[in-house]
Amino acid sequence: MKETGQQRSPACYQFELELEAYLEGEKGAFVPAHIRECAYCNVILGDLEALRSASRAMPLEEPSAAVWSNIRAQLVTSGAFAERVSFWNWFEELNFLHRLVPATAFACLLLLGCLVTVPRTHLQQDTASGPSGPPGKTAVRSMAFIGDIAALERVVRELEEAFRAREASLAPDLKATYENGLSSLDVSIRECSDSLQREPGNSLAHEYLLAAYSQKAQVLSSALELGEGR
Amino acid sequence: MPDQCELTTTKRGMAPCGVGLVLYVTMLSGALLAADNKRSEKTFEAAPNPRITLSNMIGQVLVRGWDKSQVHIVYSVVSPHVEVDTEVIPPTQPADKIHLATHLLDPLVSGKDQTADYDLDVPMGTDLEIWNPQGSIRIEKLQADDASVESVGGAILVSDFTGHLFLRSVGGNIEVIRPAGRVEAYSITGSLHFVSPTTSKLRGTTTSGRILFEGDFADGGDYSLSEYSGDMEILCPPSASFELNAKTVRGKLENEMPMTIRHRSATPVSSANSFFGTHLTGKATVNLTSFSGTIRIRQR
Repeated sequence: MKETGQQRSPACYQFELELEAYLEGEKGAFVPAHIRECAYCNVILGDLEALRSASRAMPLEEPSAAVWSNIRAQLVTSGAFAERVSFWNWFEELNFLHRLVPATAFACLLLLGCLVTVPRTHLQQDTASGPSGPPGKTAVRSMAFIGDIAALERVVRELEEAFRAREASLAPDLKATYENGLSSLDVSIRECSDSLQREPGNSLAHEYLLAAYSQKAQVLSSALELGEGR
Repeated sequence: MPDQCELTTTKRGMAPCGVGLVLYVTMLSGALLAADNKRSEKTFEAAPNPRITLSNMIGQVLVRGWDKSQVHIVYSVVSPHVEVDTEVIPPTQPADKIHLATHLLDPLVSGKDQTADYDLDVPMGTDLEIWNPQGSIRIEKLQADDASVESVGGAILVSDFTGHLFLRSVGGNIEVIRPAGRVEAYSITGSLHFVSPTTSKLRGTTTSGRILFEGDFADGGDYSLSEYSGDMEILCPPSASFELNAKTVRGKLENEMPMTIRHRSATPVSSANSFFGTHLTGKATVNLTSFSGTIRIRQR
């Protein structure tokens, strides 16, 4: 039976369980067999492989010196710098993956960055094909769903929830500045959304709305980074 | 180290003059008040085109370019629980990189006690990366490949900078005077002010701040200014040659320059108010957008 995204079978859940090992090189028989049967899972695998190869081709970005400097300062303060430690020891001490907020913020920004940098024509073509259209072959196509403003809003909302949970750790002046900025962006998001409801074809309002979401994500990410001790 | 010198001046234990009890008490109080104010001065030999990163929390940062091949750093901290970490790379050679970072020795230190002020003289060609969330940043007379300057609430002022400028402040105003090189300036609630740029690529965005551009446009230059609800004003000389594309969704457009209207934008913006025309031969490209603010183009 051909499976679709709406009808997940137990085999699809088995596929999800084995996917990570498969991507790490364990060439079991189940995943290749399942993707021949299931178009939906086939697209998921294709997308993940496309993302992986695209990310391999990307240059390694060094975090800003400010990040390292403050991490180092924190380590010095906590006495962890009594002797010089290697980069990898540092990395283990950072326990970065356990710091969910910056990781989530980074993931959201990456997603948002992809969205705002993907040419609109790609997204429009894919959105036009609709959720009932044939599954696409590329990661970009599978991301078309976030062309929906609601999805963008969700990404920003998640960042905002993380910010609200941590805003108490910010200095009052900083918090006030961030609040002012966020409030200003909220006004622009609300007004642009209203404009688009009245005139869905208003391209300038659409550009402003996307820009406001992107700026809000940047502001929230900056605040979260600062809260973590940039 | 022969090529690096360090002078640390800590104002402690000022001796009483002994001319009277009042004077003694006054001086003693002054000494006690100044006891925590630590000023340090360092000089490093720099390699050509060094890179300086500076990460601060609160305080003023001033960077000036000079003709020497040395980096001269003066900083002062208010509290003894605040320290400036200086890392020079390589440590024994002329520096390719210098990292300066303010950090707290006591996490309970808060507010103005976190203040550190920096005053740097740097060689021409020095690239900068400055992060000062709650303080102002000022850069004067410097040529470099690029400078990245960020604050949250602090103002940013850059004058006579040649090179790529990336400036961002959430709430602070940004002022750029006589830049020569690509300029990117972004704020949310702060205003942007550009004065006499000779740059050929300039981009400025603010959400609720104002934008004021005073100057001419370079031949072949590309200028893009966008604000959401603040007003935007362009003041240019009668000799400015530019092609203008101005659009606003709900705001107003006021143009006082004699323009030749070429044609309407290829992608009309529904009810938006837009203007597309040229002044003189239209050598530069100027894109101005606003959502609900007023865009004014005036002759100086």
